[in-house]
Amino acid sequence: MGQSEFVKVIQNCRQRLNLADFMKKLVSALSIGAGVGILFQAAAFVMPLYYVGLYTGLALILALLAASVAAYAKRTSMEQTALVMDSFGFDERIVTAYGNLEKEGALVALQRADAMNQLQVHQDKIRIALLPPWKKTGSLMGLFAVLIVLALVPSEMKERARELHSVKEEAKEKTEEIQEVVEALEQLEQEEELTPEQQAMLQEMIESLQASQSEYQQVSSNEMMRAATEKLNYRYENMGSQLASLAQSLQNGATVSSVTAESLQALSNKMQEMSGAQLAKGNAGQSGNNGGNGQGSQNGQSGNNGNNGGNGQNGQNGSSGQNGQNGQNGQPGNNGNGGQNGNNGNNDGNGEPGSGRGTGTADTPHDYVSIPNDIADSGNLTGNAVDHDASEYFHAQNGLSWEGTHMSHEAVIGSYEQNAYEGIAAGKYPSGMEEIIKAYFSNFN
Amino acid sequence: MSEWVNGGLQDPAYMAQRIAACEREIQKGIIGQREIIRQVMLAMLTGGNVLLEGMPGLGKTRLVSTIGKVFDLSFKRIQFTPDLMPSDVTGTNIIIKNELGSAFSFERGPIFANLILADEINRATPKTQSALLEAMQEHTVTVGNDSHAIAEPFFVLATQNPIENEGTYPLPEAQLDRFMFKILVHFPGREELKGIVALTEGNQEPVIMKQIDSRGLLAARALVNQIPIADAVMDYLLDIVMDTHAGNPYIKEGASPRAAQALIRATRAKAFLEGRFNVSFQDVKEMAFPVLRHRIILSFDAISEGISEDDVIKELLH
Repeated sequence: MGQSEFVKVIQNCRQRLNLADFMKKLVSALSIGAGVGILFQAAAFVMPLYYVGLYTGLALILALLAASVAAYAKRTSMEQTALVMDSFGFDERIVTAYGNLEKEGALVALQRADAMNQLQVHQDKIRIALLPPWKKTGSLMGLFAVLIVLALVPSEMKERARELHSVKEEAKEKTEEIQEVVEALEQLEQEEELTPEQQAMLQEMIESLQASQSEYQQVSSNEMMRAATEKLNYRYENMGSQLASLAQSLQNGATVSSVTAESLQALSNKMQEMSGAQLAKGNAGQSGNNGGNGQGSQNGQSGNNGNNGGNGQNGQNGSSGQNGQNGQNGQPGNNGNGGQNGNNGNNDGNGEPGSGRGTGTADTPHDYVSIPNDIADSGNLTGNAVDHDASEYFHAQNGLSWEGTHMSHEAVIGSYEQNAYEGIAAGKYPSGMEEIIKAYFSNFN
Repeated sequence: MSEWVNGGLQDPAYMAQRIAACEREIQKGIIGQREIIRQVMLAMLTGGNVLLEGMPGLGKTRLVSTIGKVFDLSFKRIQFTPDLMPSDVTGTNIIIKNELGSAFSFERGPIFANLILADEINRATPKTQSALLEAMQEHTVTVGNDSHAIAEPFFVLATQNPIENEGTYPLPEAQLDRFMFKILVHFPGREELKGIVALTEGNQEPVIMKQIDSRGLLAARALVNQIPIADAVMDYLLDIVMDTHAGNPYIKEGASPRAAQALIRATRAKAFLEGRFNVSFQDVKEMAFPVLRHRIILSFDAISEGISEDDVIKELLH
């Protein structure tokens, strides 16, 4: 065996040692990665983690990278390899010979020759196992099995995570859509032909849409999404009509360029379209209601009421009142709030008066307002609205049969409006609702 | 082709064979005690001195005389007693009268030999013991203003009795450190004893043949000193010596740097004797006991717990 061959044998052993070391580190790192993945998967059972699969994959990839980096950083040197080889019965001949390769001398040469000779004769004694001990490999396989099982087992929280993710995605799209409208409005606001009042109106619209954006950014459930969408729809409707009338007045006044007027008209049409699209969704939900789907029923009801607004018939429908009674969210309350009919009683029961809207005021005259004897913490209504407790309203009759008095809405609208504005000043309502409440009462003026 | 390949004194392989033959020849005259013979051989190969601790009658004198025959070396035995004076060991200046008048002449003591058996060295006074110090370390003797070189190879093999403490003077640490090995001589087994009796009480003494001369022994020493040691092995060796100072609760004083030197030489000699030209971890582990056991001073804790020097060294090696 020559010197170069001697070195080559050590190099081959070194490669094998490095590979074995990498495998050992890889198994350890993957075990840790799989452990972290199991923790992620377990966490996905108690908290919504949509990207749990991604996190698990990242943990495993990180483990792989860590093993690679560690194996590279701590790769075996030639001297260490020679020492390992010596442990197979060579009595440190190889490491001594390798350390003195460049040296000369009778004893050194004799030692080198002895080492090479021994290595040549007993090379087959050197056995370097590539795979780590089966216990480690087995435990890694076990961890992977647990990981896969946890990943495949369905759970309510995983469904919730998926729902939350889709809601967030939708909210993001909506936010971008609103941003486009806001930018269009901001451009229009820059038109010099507009009067300060008209500019203020546009600014108000922008702020209102920005409030919607803020709501979309905070949505965390389908219900919140639906509420935010309904509010936006309402805003689009109002803004669409306001912009249409503004465009009309500008065209009639001939003090503004035709381009601006057209832009206003186009934006108005766009808002009407967007509002219509939301409405279509509501109608689709109504169809579900007809089919007896509980969830769809609520959605459909909202869309229906929003569209029909002052349809007294709907308002008197005891069925609608029952929806409000459930108090699962503020949505049914919205219906009653806008309906100005028997559903009003249900609104109070829901405990979230700020989140609702109604378009009934647009088409029908306001005749009478039903004033129940007891509201809020009264005897037939449990739960504290201020503390956001769960509420439940007890009644034996439909809304129109409540005990109390009926009086003209003009008699109470002033005090209602005052209360509402005091509530706004006191910060009792969600920020997004303030404009809606103001708009609602402005319709009566 | 270099000179050593021709099988001369410079040929490591040839010399290793000759030394191995010497060991075999010594074993003819000494029954058993193979480990003792091996360690004495190692000390001779490195120029070190040996302290043998064991009961009387275990063949220590016979061992040294046999070594002298095998290596063709001069041998002197000095029985150390309390009244032994330094000059009895080193020699002294005496007045010589001749035709020209009288003059001082140095009369060499028994120290002037290749092999010295200092029997029961701990029975002599410290003053006499210290007379050996210079000879053991420097291989010279100074009397008056004159220093006298001792012929090479020079080798002191001292013995001491471990059980009789009355009237003895334990060797001071400085003197102990000058012994390369402290070898514990145990009582032979039954079969060994039978062989010893048969050998010594028989009619025919074994014939011990000279295997190598003093020149050959010195050449072997030179070769031993050239044996390479891998860095990893050297680090391991030094770590062991350093660990005797690392706050071990059973060690009061650790080994001196001389211990590291002795360990290096001993491991080289062992490898050479085994036909290898490199030092292994196993060499270090085996040589640590005779090299370190008399160089570490046990703490009170170790003594009170009955822990020996070998126990502590065993712990260090782990």
